[in-house]
Amino acid sequence: MKATDQKIPRFDVAERVAHWLAALSFLYTALTGLALWSHKLYWLAYVFGGGAVVRGLHPWGGVIFVAALGMMFRRWAKQMRLDAEDREWLRQSHKYAVHDEEGLPDAGRFNAGQKMLFWLQSCSAAVLLVSGVVLWFPETMPRVLRLAAVLIHPLAAIASIGGIIVHIYMGTAAVPEAFRGMIQGWVRPGWAASHHPKWYREVKARSGKH
Amino acid sequence: MTTVAKLIDTTLCIGCKACEVACQEWNDQEFTLGTFDGTYQTMPDLAPNFWNLIKFNEFERDGQLSWLMSKYQCMHCADPGCLRACPAPGAIVQLKNGIVDFVHDNCIGCGYCITGCPFDVPRLSPVSKKVYKCSLCSDRTSVGMTPACIKTCPTSCLTFGARDELLRKAEIRAETLRADGDADAGIYNPEGVGGTNVIYVLREASAPQKYGLPKDPTIPWTLSLWKGPVKWLGSLVLAGGILGTFFHYIRFGPREYKDESDRPENPAV
Repeated sequence: MKATDQKIPRFDVAERVAHWLAALSFLYTALTGLALWSHKLYWLAYVFGGGAVVRGLHPWGGVIFVAALGMMFRRWAKQMRLDAEDREWLRQSHKYAVHDEEGLPDAGRFNAGQKMLFWLQSCSAAVLLVSGVVLWFPETMPRVLRLAAVLIHPLAAIASIGGIIVHIYMGTAAVPEAFRGMIQGWVRPGWAASHHPKWYREVKARSGKH
Repeated sequence: MTTVAKLIDTTLCIGCKACEVACQEWNDQEFTLGTFDGTYQTMPDLAPNFWNLIKFNEFERDGQLSWLMSKYQCMHCADPGCLRACPAPGAIVQLKNGIVDFVHDNCIGCGYCITGCPFDVPRLSPVSKKVYKCSLCSDRTSVGMTPACIKTCPTSCLTFGARDELLRKAEIRAETLRADGDADAGIYNPEGVGGTNVIYVLREASAPQKYGLPKDPTIPWTLSLWKGPVKWLGSLVLAGGILGTFFHYIRFGPREYKDESDRPENPAV
């Protein structure tokens, strides 16, 4: 068999389920959140069943998202630690953005950009959860907390949505075949060797032992 | 259209609570027995189905119990914090005559108005999941009638009319009170919310807290920041993110790779 026909396992079923549970709940929560964030985007509320439905379900969407992200966190937190090479990668990330990868350290299973996204989403999700619970039950929460939450909740959401826009772009249009890694769970060897060389070497070394 | 207002001359209130009854009657609200806390007050606080509470603020004067009467209800601010905070278009409206009204068909029950209100007036109903407060009887005033509470007040403590006129009237009344020896008498029409369309004459105007009224109510700064700069920041991130990634693709295209994995130095897995 030619190497180009080979499939290298990229994400197992548990990882994919957690990721897509997070993705779908994020999409719902972000879009309904945007509906309530600006009158200009309130038409989104009608798309999702009207303002009262959105008000009722948006918090639950957030709860599902945080739970799914929690599954990803348990699975990936260790792998997401930034090492010296990652920091070097981040210093040169402007080169990555313009497809000039000369001198860029080899990426492992996750490159430093993906790691940054992971920590951005983890932090913003924690903030969104806490401030969201405050906004969820306005009649029982102290006013000073609610006043803080109306400011903090959208700020964390802006950071989170901004990161996700780049993430969706990278995972679909910008890096062909990355999407298949998260949908079907495997990638071509050439893709792995090109985008995640260090990880590819590790996979090869591991399979070589068997 | 002239701005209308309600003037509450607290010095004339006798605590008969007729206005409470009129409010319940006109707005067709069932009275739910609340907490009895041993005072003359009907209940301690406003409720989703109780929009107008006469407060018997107890204090001591010359060793004797005395009351500072006040009427607790929506203030119909010129710059309403509830309206600023409301995410549902058309759920809170400010009528041309100055009345701030809740349109319950559009209310989604998020409770942001409760957070935005500097006077802690709106109340969320656990049954209908919508928020309620005094409408200044917008249904009556729109056809030239007086609000129910004012119609029923037996002492002229409550009056309704053009805001400018009532302010003049309140000024004269405060002056009279000062001339009669109440040096601290004055008007409560807080500027922090652009003035209110519910105006009080208070005997102790320098200490409105004694009446249960906030001293310097303002629009919360977190609310202003959220509805101002943060909104701009968010729009920038949203539009910048979508357009930025799109044009990045137009300029740089996808990240292709050459499949060199089957070259000799890269033997197959």
